[in-house]
Formats: sequence, C-alpha cells, structure tokens
Amino acid sequence: MEVTLLNLMHGFSVAFQLDNLWYAFLGCLVGTLVGVLPGIGPLSGISILLPVTFGLNATQAVIMLAGIYYGSQYGGSTTSILMRIPGEASSVMTCIDGNAMARKGRAGSALCIAAVGSFIAGTFGVIMLTIVAPPLATIALRFGPPEYTALLILGLVFLAYMSSTSLVRTLLMACVGLMLGMIGIDNMTGHFRYSFDLVELGDGIGIVPVAVGLFGLGEILSTPSHKVTGEVISPKYRELLPNRQEWKESAWPIARGSVLGFIIGIIPGSAHVISSFLSYALERRVSKHPEEFGKGAVAGVAGPESANNAASTGAFVPMLALGIPTGPITAVLIGALMIHGVSVGPQLVNDHPDVFWGFVASMYVGNLMLLLLNLPLVGLFVSVLRIPYAYLYPLIIMFCIIGVYEVNHSVVDVWIMLIMGVVGYALRKFSFDPAPLVLGLVIAPIFEQSLRQSLIMSNGNYLIFFSRPISAALIAICIILLAMSAMTYMLKRKDWRDKLAEAEAGEPSA
Amino acid sequence: MDRRHFVAGSAAAAAALAVHPSFAQDAYPSHAITFINPFPPGGAADVVGRPLVAALEPIIKQPCIIDTKAGAAGQVGGQVAANAKPDGYTLLIHIVSISGFAEVDKLFDRAPKFTRADFIPIARLTAGPMVLVVNAEQPYKNLKELVDDSKANPDKLIFSSSGLYGALHLPTALFMKAAGIKMRHLPTNGGGPALTAILGNNAQVLSSSIAAASTQVKAGKLRALASFGATRSSAMPDVPTMKELGYDVEFSLWVGVFAPKGTPAPIVKTLGETIKKAAETDLFKTTIQNIGDEVAYLDQAAFAKFWDEDAKRVEAAVQSIGRVQG
Repeated sequence: MEVTLLNLMHGFSVAFQLDNLWYAFLGCLVGTLVGVLPGIGPLSGISILLPVTFGLNATQAVIMLAGIYYGSQYGGSTTSILMRIPGEASSVMTCIDGNAMARKGRAGSALCIAAVGSFIAGTFGVIMLTIVAPPLATIALRFGPPEYTALLILGLVFLAYMSSTSLVRTLLMACVGLMLGMIGIDNMTGHFRYSFDLVELGDGIGIVPVAVGLFGLGEILSTPSHKVTGEVISPKYRELLPNRQEWKESAWPIARGSVLGFIIGIIPGSAHVISSFLSYALERRVSKHPEEFGKGAVAGVAGPESANNAASTGAFVPMLALGIPTGPITAVLIGALMIHGVSVGPQLVNDHPDVFWGFVASMYVGNLMLLLLNLPLVGLFVSVLRIPYAYLYPLIIMFCIIGVYEVNHSVVDVWIMLIMGVVGYALRKFSFDPAPLVLGLVIAPIFEQSLRQSLIMSNGNYLIFFSRPISAALIAICIILLAMSAMTYMLKRKDWRDKLAEAEAGEPSA
Repeated sequence: MDRRHFVAGSAAAAAALAVHPSFAQDAYPSHAITFINPFPPGGAADVVGRPLVAALEPIIKQPCIIDTKAGAAGQVGGQVAANAKPDGYTLLIHIVSISGFAEVDKLFDRAPKFTRADFIPIARLTAGPMVLVVNAEQPYKNLKELVDDSKANPDKLIFSSSGLYGALHLPTALFMKAAGIKMRHLPTNGGGPALTAILGNNAQVLSSSIAAASTQVKAGKLRALASFGATRSSAMPDVPTMKELGYDVEFSLWVGVFAPKGTPAPIVKTLGETIKKAAETDLFKTTIQNIGDEVAYLDQAAFAKFWDEDAKRVEAAVQSIGRVQG
C-alpha cells in the first residue's frame, strides 16, 4: 500500500508537469467535443489524432488519447438528455429519464447530476485501478465464455424489472431485439443469416442506428401528434443546479452505479454497455418509487451515467495490468503506446513506471478537469432547448443522420436508422418501451457467441455452466431472483407494475 | 498593403486560378487521396496505414485520408474499394486475408463479392511472421510434444482465432493439416479477444503475430513453440520455424496497398514510386519497428509475384478448413 502511494506520488509529479497537464486538458476538451457532437465517436477521434502524437513522448500521447476516451463518456449524456439522441449505446438508458427530466424543466439538473455522477464514478474507478488492478485483472481473465453466458442470462433476468410497461410487453420487445441481433455472419460457420446479400449486414445491425432511430427519430416523428404548444421548455438560469432533494436522491445510485460499472468494466469483452442497463434495472428494483422511472426519476440518470463512466475506467485494468486490448479503444491506445516504443504487457508497471503511474495520476487530474469543463457548459447546452421546435427538430433529424452515417460511413446504417424511426413511432403509439429491444440487440451476438464457445469448450455438455465457480454463482443469483419474484407474485399479487397500470388507466399517457 | 501589392497579389491569384484546371488534368495527384481501411481502428491495416499516410503526405503534397469501412472481417471495405472509380484517388490497404474471400464464397456457392482480379497490387509494406503459442500452464515444451499429445487425444485441445477463415485461423489450419492433427476451434471476434481467450486458458493454442504475442511470451504467460516464417524471426531468435521442424508451412501477416482494377498505368507507376519513398522514410521505419512489425517493402512487380504465391497458400488453408458443420 505504501509502495502504491509512493508510486502514485511519483505519478502525480509526472502528471503535474506543465506540458502533461496541457495534453490532459487537450484530450479532455477534444473528448468533450467528441462526446457532444453527433457523428464522431471516441474511436475515430482517437485514431484521427494518433498521428498528431508522433511528435510527443509516450506519456504525453497516452494521457491525451485516454483523455479523449473518458472525456467522451462525459459528453455522451448531453444529447441524450436534451434531445433524446443516444450518441452511443451506453447512453440509451440516460435518454429515458434524462429527457423526461428535461421535459419537466429540469434539464440543467439532469446534466449536473450526470456530470457529478461521472466525476465520482470516474474517480472511484481510478482509485480502484490504483489499488487493486493487478490481482483483479488476473481474476478477470478467468472470465471465459461460460461466465459470460451466465452474466448475460443474469442481464436478461434483470430485464424483466426494467421496463415501464408490463412484463409481457418487455419480454416481447426483448425477443424482437434478440432476433434482430441474429442478423449477420454466423461466427461459427460463416453462413450469412437474414442479410439479403448485403455485405453491410454481415456484421449485423448496429446498435447506434437502432438506438438513435427508436429514441431520437421516433420521438420527433411522434411529436406532431401531441399538443406541441406550450411544451417549449425555457429553463431559468437560477434553476440550473439540482435542488437538495435531487442530490439526496442521486447519492446512492451514483455509489451503486460506480461499483457495478467498475466490476463490469474490468471483464475483458464487449459487454460494457450492459453496465448502464443493469444499473437502471437495479435502481428501479431498490427504489421506493419505481413507478417514477421513465417519468424523470433522478436515480434513472444518476445510476446509469455513473455506471458507464466507471466501466470505461475499469476497461483500463486489463489493458494496463495485462496488456490485453479488451475493446477497439484500448486496442488503439495499446497501438499508440507501441508506436512510441512502449510495449504493453504484464511488465508495463516495472519497465515503464513513468508511463504507467503518470497515466493513472493524469486520470485523477483529468476527471477533475472534465467536471470543471462540463459544469459551466450546462447553462450553454440547456439554452439549446430555447430554440423553437420548428427549427430544433429538423436540426435534430440532421444530426441523427450525420451521426449514424459517421459511425461506419455506411448508407445502409442510415436506412436502418430511418426505418427504426418509423418503428419507434409505432411502438410509442402502442406504448411499447424500446429499451428492452436495444438491450436484446446488444446482448444477442455476445450471448450467442459465448454460449456456443462454451459448448465448444465442453464438447456440447451444458454442465460446464455449473461446474465453473463464477458461472455457477451467477446462475445461482438468477435462480434466486426468479424464485424471489415468483414468491412475491404468489404472496402478494399486486406489485408496483399493477399500481402503474392502474395509474396509466386513470390518465392515458401522451 | 499598397496598391501595387494588391494588384500583384490579385494577378497572382487569378493566374493560379486560371492555371488550376489544366494542372488538374496533367499532374496526379491533384487532390486528396483516400485509403480505405477495411478493419476497425487499431487493426493491422490501421496501425500500418496511419504512419504510411503521415510519411506520404509531404512526398505527394496532397492530403491523404484514411477512411474506415470496417465490416465482415474486411470484406465490406474490399467491396467498396473494388467498386470505386479507378482514378487513383481511392486505394485499399488490406492484409493477407484479402486472398481468401472469393474462395470462401465459392465454398458456400455464393457469387463472390470481389476476386483478386479486381485489384492491382501496388506495394507490400510490412510482413510479420506468425508464431504458434501455447498457454504457459500447458505442459508442452516443444512442438513435438504438442503434436504427439494431439495425435493421441484428437480434439482435446482448443485453439482460438480472430474469426472463422481469418488471418489467425488460416495458419493454424495449415499447421493442423501438415501435422495431421485435430484441435477444436474457438472463434472470437478479433485478435484481442483471441489473445484474451488463450491467456485465460479458455483456449490452449493460438497462431498470433509476433508483435501481439511477444510481451506475453517475455512475461512467461505464453510459450512460443514455432514460427511460421521462412527464417527465424529477429524478435524471437530462439523459436524454430515450422520448416525446421519438418512441417512445410509458411505464413506471414502482411499489409499491402491495392488500387481498383482499371487504374491507368501512369498513375499506378506514380503511386508505386511515391509509396516506396514513404516506406523508406525514418518516420515510417521507426514507427513500424516500434509496433514490433517488420518493414518488408516489395515493389509492384515483386508484390504481384508474391501475392500469387501467397494466395495459393491462403486458398489451400480455406479449403482445408472447408465448410464448417454447425
């Protein structure tokens, strides 16, 4: 522990060098822009700026590039809250209650809570990274396909708690999502499935076009059918900050989201996005007022936002401790370090302490910078809502199209987004919740692949899920959860969903 | 600014404008060149392409843009490039697996999206030998022990790969065919996940690029048993080649630049010359060295010859895998 502190002090002495501070700031600034602007994600942002770092040393390069990555996680919530456009899959859940808060005139408050939650989660993630990175990373490696499968089953079980509509509707949406997720090349046999000879569908349907279509475009298409007049929210600058009640409501969700997100983040693989879904489901489960979710619950913003930031920090654990690229972004960062002659692997801490500890310390500094950078911007962002809908909505549609096109430079993606916009409109009209559909789409490919990988490992024996301790524990949790909900159902037939249904029957939703 | 300067400046500007159209027709390149990268950022084509572009821009004095069109293990980008206007302004950076797509399509009775004939090879930039590694917890100290055990217990071991028919699957398939052994295949969706699978001992065997595996080998997490190079690699001089051990298998992970079929010969010539200059710059060389790869420049004629030979290996590997029953 003392050694860690000494190392960290050394790291801070590196991070506080004037030029390193400058590059951290630059990275955070670009990251914030990348997060807010639709059409450019952290991945392309980092790759485009990679050649710029050729002239810097390794520490400066990684400080700046990582700043772009976690900076973009801060900014991603902005468009979700203001315009209901999820810039990436991890901010889908923020859309729901964040935008509902904005409609109640609490946009500033939602943005503040998202920023503060991100700050706390990010800092928590870095502290954990400092203390426990090496042992945790080794445990995370034990997370093979069977454990993944069990985790995703847990995710699906949690899903049942997630939606604001009935259980049947939730599961129906999830099934549609899972089926959409089957489109594409079968990874195990190379067959094209449901792709209609379009190579672009070979990798399946992207999450961003579906999420943007269902949430962003679907929302806009359905606007003319409600009463629009008087709906323009003009927040007063005095009301930008969250009030005491809102702070109180967000404290525990931020804490829970941070822990949950970090744990999911350190698992190597591409399931980071489920951290925000799980956090949302968890918050609703423990909330005293689950019926408020979907109508502007503070916890529905605080929890998922914290979770996705903690997950993005957690992703650095396997990268720094073991030198494994867990996703495309960490792969680019490892590439950047290698270009500067720093080979990333289990020996990184010993071989290049300046890079390792300087990088860790810069994340403490960077998170603080992001908070200071983002809070004053809240006022500016919120004034976007003062634009009359007649001008704002066409602009949002434009941003949706540009944003979706830029992810893969694919026109097929734009069409998917447009079709999903129409689907989203229909779902809203029939009051289906699109969130489980997106979760199904996210989970399907990973779920299918890890299930089949597990069966390859066990030669087709399903007992593999019960014979490995981590997956057995996860499956046990699933069974307990199912048993518990069955118990409540049998003992007390009326739970919050019925209350909600009654409330909805009383006053039809808009 | 006085009037004389103003007049002179305007005249110069007008002259420049007037000259521009004829200039555009005469000298290639007159505007930005787009390099299509068919893999996600961070992949082999990207890490080689970025420094190439950085070195090429000052030589041709035009901006060079990397356009990422990832998808279907590099097939989407390949198809886009194959259908691009053959004017020398859209080029493709692709890797060894470009030769396999048509063969895979043939295997599944699909019309190929593109074939090798759709491209003119311009230059090979890098070629890194592959290395066969096992998880260090496994007992195998050399290749013979691995082969003997696999012969005694077919389908016991699992090898991971970056994906079916992908660049990390093909060399293992060739090795299994040459050694007459069977192992189970654990496909993942990239080089990183394939490495993660073997480090967590969820797979035991992997053919990896030396660049990606070397730090793990040095740290004692993985053990290198044989390399797929024609000669021993300078990065791992202690590791014998497959050929030394009696298996006639050779495979390298190379990155090359291609132009669409029909690109005029003078433009192809210019491209070849300028890319050669870029590949010889210190910037390019040191960057490639730092990522653990080897600059292995081949000019157009040599690359074309190499590609023909290499494609035979890739096609043989695809056929030896065959249609996977699943």
